[in-house]
Amino acid sequence: MKELLTELLMEEKTCFRIPFGDGYIDVYKSVVMTWGVMLVLFALILFLTHGFKVHNISKRQAAVETFVIWLRGVTGGMLGEEGISYADYLATVLIFIAASNMVGLLGFTPATMDLNVTIALALMSIVLVEIAGMRKKGVKKWLKGFAEPMAIVAPMNILEIGIRPLSLCMRLFGNILGATVIMELIKFMVPVILPAILSLYFDIFDGAIQAYVFVFLTSLYIKEAVE
Amino acid sequence: MSLTAIGAAIAAFTGIGAGIGIGLATAKATDAVARQPEADGKIMKMLVLGCALAEATAIYGLVVAVMIIFLS
Repeated sequence: MKELLTELLMEEKTCFRIPFGDGYIDVYKSVVMTWGVMLVLFALILFLTHGFKVHNISKRQAAVETFVIWLRGVTGGMLGEEGISYADYLATVLIFIAASNMVGLLGFTPATMDLNVTIALALMSIVLVEIAGMRKKGVKKWLKGFAEPMAIVAPMNILEIGIRPLSLCMRLFGNILGATVIMELIKFMVPVILPAILSLYFDIFDGAIQAYVFVFLTSLYIKEAVE
Repeated sequence: MSLTAIGAAIAAFTGIGAGIGIGLATAKATDAVARQPEADGKIMKMLVLGCALAEATAIYGLVVAVMIIFLS
């Protein structure tokens, strides 16, 4: 067990190094993995969206449009009227996290299993939430919002700025770590057939649910901030 | 090593809380859908959110257990 965890968590994280000044910049494997995911997604998007027309649309265009409208409905429905302009960002994050979680299917280590990646995603979320509040209410009212409903809860509200991203990043990281560890154990014990069935749950279902939960919580915070 | 293993096992007890929480949430959601089948979309959303929040405690337990195994 410990050897497995050591192999998963403590392995050399650096993929390659870029010389910079006197030292090096370490480029982590998880970063390269996110580049790979982005590359595949970009290629898919470019393939799916080339040659769009207004009239006489192709089957591909109809499918893509239906999917995009559905995705906007999913993220926009959670945001409500006020924060609808953030729906596209959330849809992007949803696709990216879901794709990152599912690369375990192809035998890679998911990028979201690195705490650094999930911390970055959670920080992006909390910055977006606070900036959404500032844009909607103005800085003065946003600052006053910390003392609502009573002045005595202000410390709690300020603590929440730290707790929210911590809980977001820990949830994503822990879930993906747990799923990967369990899958590795199963692959170690029963190498045939069983991993294929269980990866349906641990890689596809769990990955999609965690991406959805991440986006859902972010949209909940945005909704709360812009109200 | 033996004591650290026991520590990790104690950390794994967080699963009890998460299990009870998710079980209660699912039971109530089933009740709600049985009463109002037309509201299942909203109920599903709430259920997923509640399960994610309840599950988070178990995940913290997992992270703590992993840390105990590692940092000792």
